[in-house]
Amino acid sequence: MLTCALRAASIPRGAVPPMIRFFVVFVALQAGLFAAELTPWAQEYFVVPWTNALAAISAWLVTLIDPNVAATGKVLQSTRNGFAVSIESGCNGVEATIVLVAAILAFPASWKRRLIGLAVGIIAVQGLNIVRVISLFYLGQWDLRVFEWAHLYVWQALIMLDVLVVWLVWVRTLPPPDAGPVPAPG
Amino acid sequence: MTAVASPLARFLVKVFAWLPLAFAAWYFAAPVLLWPAKLLLELVARLGFADLVTAVEQNAATFTFVTLLKPGDVTGKTAQLIVDVDGLLYSFGLPLFAALVIAARAPRWGRVLALGYAVMVPFIAFGVFADFLKDVTLGAGPLVASQTGFLGWQLEAIAFSYQIGALILPTIVPAIAWLLTHRAFLEQMRQA
Repeated sequence: MLTCALRAASIPRGAVPPMIRFFVVFVALQAGLFAAELTPWAQEYFVVPWTNALAAISAWLVTLIDPNVAATGKVLQSTRNGFAVSIESGCNGVEATIVLVAAILAFPASWKRRLIGLAVGIIAVQGLNIVRVISLFYLGQWDLRVFEWAHLYVWQALIMLDVLVVWLVWVRTLPPPDAGPVPAPG
Repeated sequence: MTAVASPLARFLVKVFAWLPLAFAAWYFAAPVLLWPAKLLLELVARLGFADLVTAVEQNAATFTFVTLLKPGDVTGKTAQLIVDVDGLLYSFGLPLFAALVIAARAPRWGRVLALGYAVMVPFIAFGVFADFLKDVTLGAGPLVASQTGFLGWQLEAIAFSYQIGALILPTIVPAIAWLLTHRAFLEQMRQA
């Protein structure tokens, strides 16, 4: 779909090739959104509440099977042995979400399909991120070396793989760019 | 839904099969894989930061920056600040890229693997160097930071570079490199 959509129209002389346009817009959106995320305003009103909500949701999910867990701010803690994980930048899924948002907005599609892609995609990315937080919480109580490996390398790659897959699935659901109106049956 | 998911699902199964092997190969081969990044770091240090860095050394996957900075109040003594940066933190995109490439098995995938590696090495070096600069400016205290002579806007640029080098580039670069080198594969997957 990527090449289909981006190669579909014949490129007028002097026009920017669609593939180049996609990557330029993607990189620009990515840089802009990431810079915005780092501002104190965004941190106070978006990133911190988002991260706290992530910790609270993770704690709520865990307490369904393990009552010895509590969330305070961005910290998820075991009330049994005191082990705690603090959800920091890079672990709250905000950067992964920014990548997905930039990729969906940069790709040629209708606004309706973009909004559906964003809604479903953000839920998918954040859903897996909650799995990451909970898995790290238990891995840390089991073995700190395994926790470090999973935290620093493996989960980072898996979350980006999730973003890539969600984006590919979304792109595959888009109609071909040269598809005309669907003919009436019969 | 099955028609939409199945080629992608088959591809994903292969990616997940290759990912543990790719991670193991990356971890054990890291000293070799990161050696070109060390050469790049030496070049950058020599050309742009000769008044700050005297040498860049590599021990396994760790880069050591030997600086001209004094670590604190060392009146009457000779001391140099040495900063270690873990290269693995900036190169875990390599096994991700390798797993994606091997799972896709596009024509001449070995060449694609080498090309992607060559593309990713400068970004790894960027992340490592930004981490080093962050350590000596924003993480080492005012006594060390004042010796670096960076201006306010330069400190802002270092902080931004560190953030983007640590949080964005290690994962986004392999994904983009894979997309750019697998356009035909993506088209096949759509039509399947």
